[in-house]
Amino acid sequence: MAKKQSVIKILLKRDLSSALYSWGYYLVLFASLLVSSFILKNFIEGINEEDILVSAYPLNYPLYITIIIVSIYLVIVSAISITREKEQGTLEVLFYGPVTSSSFLLSKYFKDLTLGVISLAFIALYFYLVSAITNLGFTVGLVKALIMGIFLISCVVSFGLFISTITGKIRSSILTLIALIGVFLAIQVAHGTLLGFEQESLSVPMLYLRQTISYLFYGVNWVSPFAFLSRGFDAVALGSWPLYLSNIGYCLIYSFIFVALSIYTMNKRGVKA
Amino acid sequence: MIQTVDLTKSFNGTKAVDSLNLKVEEGDIYGFLGPNGAGKTTTIMMILGLIPPTQGKIYLLGQELKPNQVEPKRRIGVVAESQYFYKEMTAREYLQFFSELYQVANAEKKINTLMEAVGLEKDQNKTLGAYSKGMQQKLAFVRALLHDPELLILDEPVANLDPTSIKQIRDLIEEQNRLGKTIFVSSHLLSEVERLCHKVGIIHQGKLLAEDTMDNIKRKLSDSIHLEIELDREAAGLESWLQGLDFVQNFSINQNQLTVNLKTDRDYRSDLSRAIYEKGWLILAMQAKEMSLEEAFLTITQHNISLLTQGEAGNHEAK
Repeated sequence: MAKKQSVIKILLKRDLSSALYSWGYYLVLFASLLVSSFILKNFIEGINEEDILVSAYPLNYPLYITIIIVSIYLVIVSAISITREKEQGTLEVLFYGPVTSSSFLLSKYFKDLTLGVISLAFIALYFYLVSAITNLGFTVGLVKALIMGIFLISCVVSFGLFISTITGKIRSSILTLIALIGVFLAIQVAHGTLLGFEQESLSVPMLYLRQTISYLFYGVNWVSPFAFLSRGFDAVALGSWPLYLSNIGYCLIYSFIFVALSIYTMNKRGVKA
Repeated sequence: MIQTVDLTKSFNGTKAVDSLNLKVEEGDIYGFLGPNGAGKTTTIMMILGLIPPTQGKIYLLGQELKPNQVEPKRRIGVVAESQYFYKEMTAREYLQFFSELYQVANAEKKINTLMEAVGLEKDQNKTLGAYSKGMQQKLAFVRALLHDPELLILDEPVANLDPTSIKQIRDLIEEQNRLGKTIFVSSHLLSEVERLCHKVGIIHQGKLLAEDTMDNIKRKLSDSIHLEIELDREAAGLESWLQGLDFVQNFSINQNQLTVNLKTDRDYRSDLSRAIYEKGWLILAMQAKEMSLEEAFLTITQHNISLLTQGEAGNHEAK
């Protein structure tokens, strides 16, 4: 067990330092904060024009957008993390030695999670500075949202890793990810649209379709990592501790299931591209 | 050191490796030969646990290889046919990373010694993206030897090397074998295998057709041993006597040059030389004209000849 932990630590160290030296990570972080600044600017201009403060958690929406951008980056990074090593053949070389599917996947999971936590630290610093400059409150809600962010990133990363284990090439990882997110969004949109119709106005086939879409929507709510993101932020906005803690619990269960599925898949498929 | 029992791998119903029974003994330099697509690399991938077998068992260093079993893998070193590196790392960083993974004691000293042995000591701070194929191959050797493995698995180890580097690597392999390491070499460079290996296994279309010492394989393939003998004087008087020897298949005499074909059921050279001496002739030179490994390999693979006796395969004890 100690040897396995040591292997995870060594792989994590190498991978993390490689990721932290890549400009892409900082570019995405900068872009997310730029978008957040733009939203905040509009918000502050709105306040100036209306002369009224309309939000209990004024920084939470920009934070939500920032975390979504970082999450999209992390889901892509984790979705290609294994396929990239498969394609480059470096995965094979690691497996000549004391590396197993579980140690390799856990190192990837913790690497991407650490990247997420470092991003959240930058984001927290940014929002602290914004709060100091604009006098918008750096509230408990914001701290709760930032903490929730860690668990949401955990979901996103474990989902990405799973995509990476079921695909063999970077290209197919990206396409699978886009396809799945597209399907999730399509189900959400279809569900929202069909709910907008009065039941009486729908024909029998359409009623069946609405019912089916409802079931699918319910499923997507537990499969899509981004659904956990919006649920987590809802829990913060509602100020409900039970909801907040249960969402953290769900995130942990979700991450565990997807990491375990990834390990199982990798064991079954082997390490060749 | 390595044993496979009925090892089989199918891809979409096609058997890439079919009931393979290999046995590599401790201290061997074992050559694993086969034409392209014979199943060599698939076999190695299964032995290394990189792809799961469809059927069969693998014993590595005395233990049955199970998924995610790392302990035997800590005791083997591998050089694959193609080299894959983290190209942004320098050679030294790369070796330090693997030293940490294998928990190598005195890693820095070992890195220096091995880099010197393969002639890469001046290039250790270059990034791996700048390494030529030959340099990459040598670096893979250094990585494979860092943790002082008991077993070296080499897949086409000299494929990308120039003659000087081939010699460096061959010397390194022989030195490692002298130090007690077992070496499993898969290669299509038959001349290299012939120089290096004690024992060979020949695989064709996923099936093991021969596994023996090189001498035995050649002997099994030829129906006679061809000897060219130079005598101290004309051999005309030997004719009737040679006809009476039951291990002589046929012969011809040209003055003091005697050409004899012997049966192959055992080595009759000493019997023949003793008998000639007792008849009053002296042998000045005796040369056995042997089949080369290349000829043996081509004979076996082109005619799909199995030199394994029934029951030979699969009856080994796990080693």
